[in-house]
Amino acid sequence: MLEVKNVSYAYKTKKDKTILNNVSATFEEGIFYTIVGPSGAGKTTLLSLLAGLDTAVKGTVLCNGEDITKKGLNYHRKHNISLVFQNYNLIDYLTTVENVKLGGSGNAEKLLEEVGIGKEYWQRNVLQLSGGQQQRVAIARALASDAHVLLADEPTGNLDETTADEIIALLKKTAHELGKCVVVVTHSKHLAEEADEILEIKNGAISFLSD
Amino acid sequence: MNFFGLARRSVFRKPVKSILLLLIVFAISTLLLAGVASKNASVEVQDKTRQAIGAGFLLERNAEYRTKRVRECSEKIGNKEGSFGGYHQKKVVVNGSEGWSGSTTNEFETLDIKDIQKLAKTKGIADYNLTTAITAVNPVNFKRIEDKDVDQNVDVGGVSLIGNKDMKLDRNVLSGNLHIKEGRMITPEDKDMCVISEELSKQNNLKIGDKISFNDYHDTENSKVSEAEIVGIYQVDQKMSPLMQGDTYRSENVIFTDLRFPEKAEGETSPLYEKAYFKVEDVEAYDEVKENLQKVDINWEQYDLIDNNGNSETMSSNFNDLAKVSEMMILVISVASFVILVLVFLFWLKNRVQEVGIFLSLGVPKFRIIGQIWSEAIMIAVLSLMLSFAVAPAVSKVTANYLVSQQVQQMQEEEKNNEGKVSTEYVAPKQDVQNISVEVTPEMYLLDGVSVLVLITASVLVSGIVILKRNPKDILSEMS
Repeated sequence: MLEVKNVSYAYKTKKDKTILNNVSATFEEGIFYTIVGPSGAGKTTLLSLLAGLDTAVKGTVLCNGEDITKKGLNYHRKHNISLVFQNYNLIDYLTTVENVKLGGSGNAEKLLEEVGIGKEYWQRNVLQLSGGQQQRVAIARALASDAHVLLADEPTGNLDETTADEIIALLKKTAHELGKCVVVVTHSKHLAEEADEILEIKNGAISFLSD
Repeated sequence: MNFFGLARRSVFRKPVKSILLLLIVFAISTLLLAGVASKNASVEVQDKTRQAIGAGFLLERNAEYRTKRVRECSEKIGNKEGSFGGYHQKKVVVNGSEGWSGSTTNEFETLDIKDIQKLAKTKGIADYNLTTAITAVNPVNFKRIEDKDVDQNVDVGGVSLIGNKDMKLDRNVLSGNLHIKEGRMITPEDKDMCVISEELSKQNNLKIGDKISFNDYHDTENSKVSEAEIVGIYQVDQKMSPLMQGDTYRSENVIFTDLRFPEKAEGETSPLYEKAYFKVEDVEAYDEVKENLQKVDINWEQYDLIDNNGNSETMSSNFNDLAKVSEMMILVISVASFVILVLVFLFWLKNRVQEVGIFLSLGVPKFRIIGQIWSEAIMIAVLSLMLSFAVAPAVSKVTANYLVSQQVQQMQEEEKNNEGKVSTEYVAPKQDVQNISVEVTPEMYLLDGVSVLVLITASVLVSGIVILKRNPKDILSEMS
């Protein structure tokens, strides 16, 4: 489904510091992946490469066997992947339901119901919701897209334990029931353990811990 | 949701930034309109002024034609003393060597009265005046004004007479060099009448109704004395141009008389009409009247038809300055507006970097993000334009009044600086701006609207490029 092939990455300003060194990995639909590793190891960088937010120095990122740069990174971000961030990244002048509609053509109201946002919140300004609710809205927005891959960067980082568990359950449901490929970057050991597959990035290399 | 829908929501749900931009665009639009209207107002003032002072044409003898005639007459006389066609040739011996000296009669030099009368009948000419050459004569029963510090040896010791058919159309009166303080001006019906300066009146204790006498300065003892009655006393606003050096020609010693008096006072038998002025009835038809005049069947070779722009040009030049000031104002506003708008949009986008990052992560193309920002700005601009269009007439009037008052103040200061100086050439007359008409036309509204939209588009593009050339990952990193 989504594959990184012999990818290397180094900061343009610090060429001597290689973040990823010739790494390869494949991400399949219906599986919940987490990426772990120490700070600065390159977890978010890998997610950015998968999302088409950045480009590798060497190697390719493939989606359904096709280089994502071929149709353009904008196309990739719009049609192949959806993103969830630690700080929710919702548009502050839109209502809850309007934010979900930004994600794509999916039924926003139904999606909000599925992620557990009650009707009374739909027409409210999204900033009036709690952190957990905002992250649910962000996930609903991601699900509104036709994309088969959901990429999340520390989605529970700002949430309390109970809310984090609810978000984890939602992500697992997305992978297992909706059949999407869910890739989550996390520092949380608890979240990592909930994944079907755990990848660790360390010293520029990637390895599957769950193998 | 399309970007227009997003723009609409952003404009109405984030009112503070919208109001800020609204006020800025309102100010820009209003000032631009005021600048354009003021520029236009200046032209209107110029025309009105020309109408007020009386647009007209001046007819003078052509200098080249005169030279040609002198040469022809001299050739006809041949290598001997004699006269031909008003030209006299006399042999003179200077330092032992012989030469020829020429002189002319008034008939030779004067404008042809028949030609003048033909031209005066031209369609579009409201009135006309004839002015004699400045004639130096000897004051018999009064004393002229003299400057004790000036060497009078080269001066003829006289006063100057200027004869007019109708003094109100004299060049000095039209250009505001003088005005009547007491009595009246010379009219076409007058005979043996004069108007003197207040200085001459004071020095000689002369008043209206008194008679003053003159004779030929060449022979002050024996020449015939002519008498003229004082009908008016004038006050000088701007010193009149002296014909030549010496107190004979100084402003205070200029005496305006009826048309035929100067020839009588100097003992001549025929007049010397030097200038004819034709007043145009309607300034709007100025060019048409000029064409009509030029079609009149007279020998044009001997004349110069001069646009009476002495006064108009000065006014025009002053109000062209106003137009330049207006143009400068428009330019400065445009450049400053562009800089301000770029800074506003840069600030705006910097505060919306998170939103930009979100849209980029959702795969929204950069041109659509710019499109949304542009749409927001245009929505606000439309409202601003409506407001500025409503207040533009009032603001434009205030602006034009201010700019004109600045011009007038500047002229007055220059006038003050020149006070007491004797002019050697034509002096700009005193000018009073009575009224300034400012109109904001539909074309100006259109121009203003287009200019504001162009300014906004350019500013959004410039500021947008600065933000959007960045990598999406960098923007998202900045967010987190």
